[in-house]
Amino acid sequence: MNKQEMNEQEQRKLADLLQRSLPPMNPELDRDLWPKMLQRIMLHRIMLHRINERARDRHWLAVLFSPSALSAVPWFDWALLAAVIVGLCIFPRSIPIWLYHF
Amino acid sequence: MNSHRYLRAYMAGSAVPTMMLLVVLTGFLIARYTFQIPIPIERAIVFPMALVPNLFGAWNMFYLWLRPRPHLPIGLHGAILPFILAPAGLTLAACLGFLSANAGGLVWFHEVAIPYAILAVGFCFGLIVYYLVWKYLVSFFNEVLGIA
Repeated sequence: MNKQEMNEQEQRKLADLLQRSLPPMNPELDRDLWPKMLQRIMLHRIMLHRINERARDRHWLAVLFSPSALSAVPWFDWALLAAVIVGLCIFPRSIPIWLYHF
Repeated sequence: MNSHRYLRAYMAGSAVPTMMLLVVLTGFLIARYTFQIPIPIERAIVFPMALVPNLFGAWNMFYLWLRPRPHLPIGLHGAILPFILAPAGLTLAACLGFLSANAGGLVWFHEVAIPYAILAVGFCFGLIVYYLVWKYLVSFFNEVLGIA
């Protein structure tokens, strides 16, 4: 028995042992996954509905000026707003014209 | 919530200038009775009361129509509006007799003289204001009415 034959024999043995140690595969699922999927979808919908209801209960001004909404404003928009306010302070006589154009 | 989308867009667009109308009227009254600027309120209020809210509504409907097509972000879309509103406002003011032009600039309400250079800067500020209003306020109302 040469070395190559020995290796092949060992490989076959190893494969045999592995096959015996693993449980046989069942091609069919032992349970139906669809009810669980439906349950997940329903749970997601209920959560969304609750979030929407909570948002609806709040006054729109509270939502508009909430800390989370204000913190989402990028810095350059704050800079633009500041520029407009500074402009109005420098040239207050233009305020009626601004009011006319809004 | 998918019915009457354009009506809702019109309402969302016109909500902001309609609310601002109170501020505009208060500002006009203060300017006239406190600072003695002779603003003809009954004529000057026509533009902010009748034209601006309707144009905002129509512009928001236009934005909704553009949505499935290639379009600008809502802030930039709103910043285009002064290019329509400013000439319309100037024309109406001239027709109603409270805006006149001279060599140095425009004279509003027979008293407030604005040099052309300041007008140009003011127009840029107007673009900024419209950009911010559309990006945050009109967009918010669109969201509230389910058309964001």
